[in-house]
Amino acid sequence: MSSDDSDEENVIRYGTPLDPFEEDEVPSKRKFQQQADQFAVDENGRRRFHGAFTGGFSAGYGNTVGTPEGWAPSSFKSSRSEKAQISNQRPEDFMDDEDRSEYGIAPRNLQTKSEFSGQKRPLQQRFHDGPIPGEPVLEQFIRAVHETAAVKMLRRMGWKEGQGIGDRLTRREKKRAEDQHKVYGCYMPPEIRQESKQSEESSDSEFEYDTLFAPDDYDPYTIQHKNDRFGLGYKGLSRHSVLGNLVGEYDSAGSSRSHLLMKEKGKKVSIRGQAFGVGALEADDEDVFAAPDMSHYDFEIGGAAEEAHRKRPPQSASVLEGFVKATKPPAAPPSYPPPALPRDFTPAPAGARRSRFEPAAHPQRDQGLGRHELTSEARGALLGEVPIPKTEETETNPQPQNTEVSKLLGKTINFVTENTQKDKDIDFISIKDTGKDINVFKPFISDPKKQARYERYLQGGDSNVERDVATGEGDRLSAWERNREMMEFEQAAKLYKPLSGVMGDRFTHASEPDDGALNPLSAVAKSSINYGLATPEQIEAAKIGAYGVVTRKEVKWRPEPIVCKRFNVPELGARMEPKKEDKPKVSYSIFSYLESSVHDKESFTKEQSKFSGSKSLNVDHEKKPKDDKPKDVNPVAQLGNVRKPTEPIEVNTGPNKRMTVAELFMKESEKDLQIKSKSKETEVVPTIEKFDRMDLYKSIFLSDSENEETNEESTSTDYKEFIEKPKNVERNTSPPRGIFANIDFDELNSWKRHSEDKNPKTIENNVSESKTKTNDDTSEKINNDDKRETKDANSSTAMEEAVYGPKIPENLLKRLELPESNFKPMFRSKDEREREESSSSDSWVEAKVKPKKEKKKKSKKHKSKKKSKHKKKDK
Amino acid sequence: MSEQSVLSKIVTITCKQQVVRAVRFNVDGSYCLTCGADKKIKLWNPHSQILLKTYGGHANEVLDAAGSCDSSHIVSCSSDKSVILWDVTTGQPIRRYRGHASSVTCVKFNEESTMAVSGSVDNTVCFWDVISRRQEPVQILKDAKDTITSIQVTDHEVLTSSVDCHMRLYDMRVGKMLSDYIGHIITYGSMTHDGQCYILSCTDNTIKLFDKDSGELLNTFSGHDSKDFLLENAVNEKDSHIISGSATGEIFYWDLVSSRCTQKLVQGCKPVVSLSHHPTDNYLLSSSEDEVVLWGVPKMDN
Repeated sequence: MSSDDSDEENVIRYGTPLDPFEEDEVPSKRKFQQQADQFAVDENGRRRFHGAFTGGFSAGYGNTVGTPEGWAPSSFKSSRSEKAQISNQRPEDFMDDEDRSEYGIAPRNLQTKSEFSGQKRPLQQRFHDGPIPGEPVLEQFIRAVHETAAVKMLRRMGWKEGQGIGDRLTRREKKRAEDQHKVYGCYMPPEIRQESKQSEESSDSEFEYDTLFAPDDYDPYTIQHKNDRFGLGYKGLSRHSVLGNLVGEYDSAGSSRSHLLMKEKGKKVSIRGQAFGVGALEADDEDVFAAPDMSHYDFEIGGAAEEAHRKRPPQSASVLEGFVKATKPPAAPPSYPPPALPRDFTPAPAGARRSRFEPAAHPQRDQGLGRHELTSEARGALLGEVPIPKTEETETNPQPQNTEVSKLLGKTINFVTENTQKDKDIDFISIKDTGKDINVFKPFISDPKKQARYERYLQGGDSNVERDVATGEGDRLSAWERNREMMEFEQAAKLYKPLSGVMGDRFTHASEPDDGALNPLSAVAKSSINYGLATPEQIEAAKIGAYGVVTRKEVKWRPEPIVCKRFNVPELGARMEPKKEDKPKVSYSIFSYLESSVHDKESFTKEQSKFSGSKSLNVDHEKKPKDDKPKDVNPVAQLGNVRKPTEPIEVNTGPNKRMTVAELFMKESEKDLQIKSKSKETEVVPTIEKFDRMDLYKSIFLSDSENEETNEESTSTDYKEFIEKPKNVERNTSPPRGIFANIDFDELNSWKRHSEDKNPKTIENNVSESKTKTNDDTSEKINNDDKRETKDANSSTAMEEAVYGPKIPENLLKRLELPESNFKPMFRSKDEREREESSSSDSWVEAKVKPKKEKKKKSKKHKSKKKSKHKKKDK
Repeated sequence: MSEQSVLSKIVTITCKQQVVRAVRFNVDGSYCLTCGADKKIKLWNPHSQILLKTYGGHANEVLDAAGSCDSSHIVSCSSDKSVILWDVTTGQPIRRYRGHASSVTCVKFNEESTMAVSGSVDNTVCFWDVISRRQEPVQILKDAKDTITSIQVTDHEVLTSSVDCHMRLYDMRVGKMLSDYIGHIITYGSMTHDGQCYILSCTDNTIKLFDKDSGELLNTFSGHDSKDFLLENAVNEKDSHIISGSATGEIFYWDLVSSRCTQKLVQGCKPVVSLSHHPTDNYLLSSSEDEVVLWGVPKMDN
């Protein structure tokens, strides 16, 4: 409703005018108005809540999340330089300004303390679930009186709890006031009001004083949860009403939830809340299902009780109104006499013993009642038995226990402890059988009899114990107990063996009392102790002042490299490096432990001495045959001469295998740089080479390489091999891998060998080969043709059949043809094998499928031997 | 040498450190360090008697200290078994080495102050790398069989004296250790500036001068009283005189060659234990109990 002033016409317009319509504009539907972002912002316009569910406020340092600049972490401050000035982070660092305001999370304004806040109930305390759950009982007893200021003020003005506020009223006035009870809001359900009135009436009727009453306290209407889905104020049928009221529900009619309500006792039963139970036309029916109870009936006529109540009690003087003088004196509180103290009680307050280290006034009994500590004798004495006369053995028992027992009859309880105390003075017994008196720990000191038995056991072993049994000493023990005890004794004897036996030689008595350790202030003798540092000559020389050569001692000392570095002193590394290598680089292979002879230094030096100056080849060669079969000596010797021209060069260039091992262990003799550098290269080799004696090893690892060698150089002895091998440092000595891993070359070759062994020509062949081979070294290639020819002549028949490749190998064929009885593929001496190998290789050369063979050879060469290849080419 | 000027007390400083265990000139002799039984080290300008800084951090008596060659660091040792490297300007401990098993009696820097060498009652000498952050000693010398009483470090040698009556000279260049049996407990060992001789204070009330190369006794100086004190000795800047304190409170000057006592300075009645001679000038610092005295030739013109 608005009137436009601009309009001169007296037009009254109702409603909100539409937007002015412009003709050229197409009237569109109301523009969608985007609601302003409903973001809470602070007074600076910054968004206040961030994140999912807007749970996190003040996101980022200084509320930087969501700002165009983006989130900035709180700036890191290094506390390293100013450790002392570290200031703890305060919550304010992470809060916004408004959080500190009146309604923020950390308001900084004045507030009424809870005491004065007018809050009636303090916050409910939380009670821990201890053994006694719930509110602690003590706190229930002592409850701080907590009253609000208003209550206090009211109290001062004469108000008492349970009263209303206002002027005092007469009964009538009160009643009237009640009738005119003004209610704000919902009116109390009439039933409830009625009920309360009734109860009041009944109570009021009891006293008819002419007195003024305080107005009724306002009874707060407690609102109950509505836990049904009925309409307001309506209560549907409950099971109760259908099945009948329970006994006693009528009595507490007010609180009853029953729908049967007895308005006046026994007179009228009103049923409320019945919706479907009684038809509209039906009269109020009695609850047929209600269980009849005698209490429902009134047995008297008229309100008889009222009169009695109306009688006023006789007022007497000095009695307050409303009170009656008691006829009986109040019962005196019962008084209990203090407990009678035991006669021998001595007060021992807790503080009597000043420290726990102070000795107790009287010795404590060990445990229990002491019953079990009693021996049979003690028990017997207690019972008045006549002690059995002791046997001889028991007389050896040093404890004069029996007499004591009889003495101690009166105070038996303590006697065992007294006994043990005495024993503690002599905690060691001497053992005779060792010849000297040696102190022995008594393991069974707590049981003297047992200890005695133990001693006897120590002295004579089992026989003594058996004697015990015979004499009845051990009668008290069952057989099982005895056995157990014997075991105990055995163990104890092992454990507490006299020192002289086991440890005696390890310890000595201190020559000087160890006072210094106890008393640091005790005078220390001037130290001219020598510690065995100075020889007597030195001491003498020093005495006469002849210092110099005698008193001087020179020891090698090696400064750490870093020390040298820091001192700007050239490192003594070159000289001292061996020290570092003192520890041989151990290869952790099983095989290094199989051969024990070269394990420790001594054995090695022994070996080393065998090869003294092992640079010369002959030593090696002499050694080798020893390991191999003796029959090889001859060919070695023979071939040695022939070999000579080529060998020395090889030896000089290549490091000796034995030598490298030696260096690894000793590092004392030669330290040529050459050897050293070589030794590094051949680090892996020694571990393998060391075990060249072992056929098993060889057959596994070396066969492969041997094959090659023999193929290339066609040597017939291992003699050659050992010289040749070191030459090529780059040779792969590791066990075959990959596709060769599972091929047993040995076996392959062995087959071949046997086939050739069968062939009678091979012997001749061998001879000729050995001859040719000597030449081979110098000119293998040239001889190839000759060889072929000779081979052809020798074994053409055999070879012609042999076809390598897809066809069955010739030797295999032969093997099939001529089954061997003593065929052993493994564990053959090397030379044998090699000889065959060489021969077989020759035979391979002559085979028809020669190109293939060569291919194979080539691949092998590629694999490992380059040097030899080159050599060949040279030749 | 004959015209040896007579020294007199120039400055007397009362350090208020209970007892001064050691007094040391710095590398150029312009400052000095006093190690006190009050667990503190004090840096002084002895010529002007100014206390420059106090270094606190040890847990027990400080027994020795040494300044680095650039006077930027101090290394100190204490009977709390630790060796501490200090920053001179800030007074903060840079590193604390705890490798010794017992009180550390003496400590020295090497020539370039890249390494600290300390000797201890646990009979060991430890080399500490002060450049790196290593907390463990880089090398431990375990030859001595008793307390190390003093250490001297030259460019390639380390001289240690021990209660086991041995003097040990470790030569890094040659890689050997020379040990000389002296026959008496050595309370202090020092070297002449030419590095040819070493001077050992022995408990038989003598100071012995040894030739380094041969180990022969060159001279013996006596007259003072050592009693039970770990007296130190010193040699003057020209290597002409041997100086030692005495339990009687005097300082003795002996002619190195003739072993004649040329001068006797009286400091007091308390034993003069620690000495430090100026590296280039004729100044001597001596300490006795709480008092440090700077001896020198008073300048006339001033």
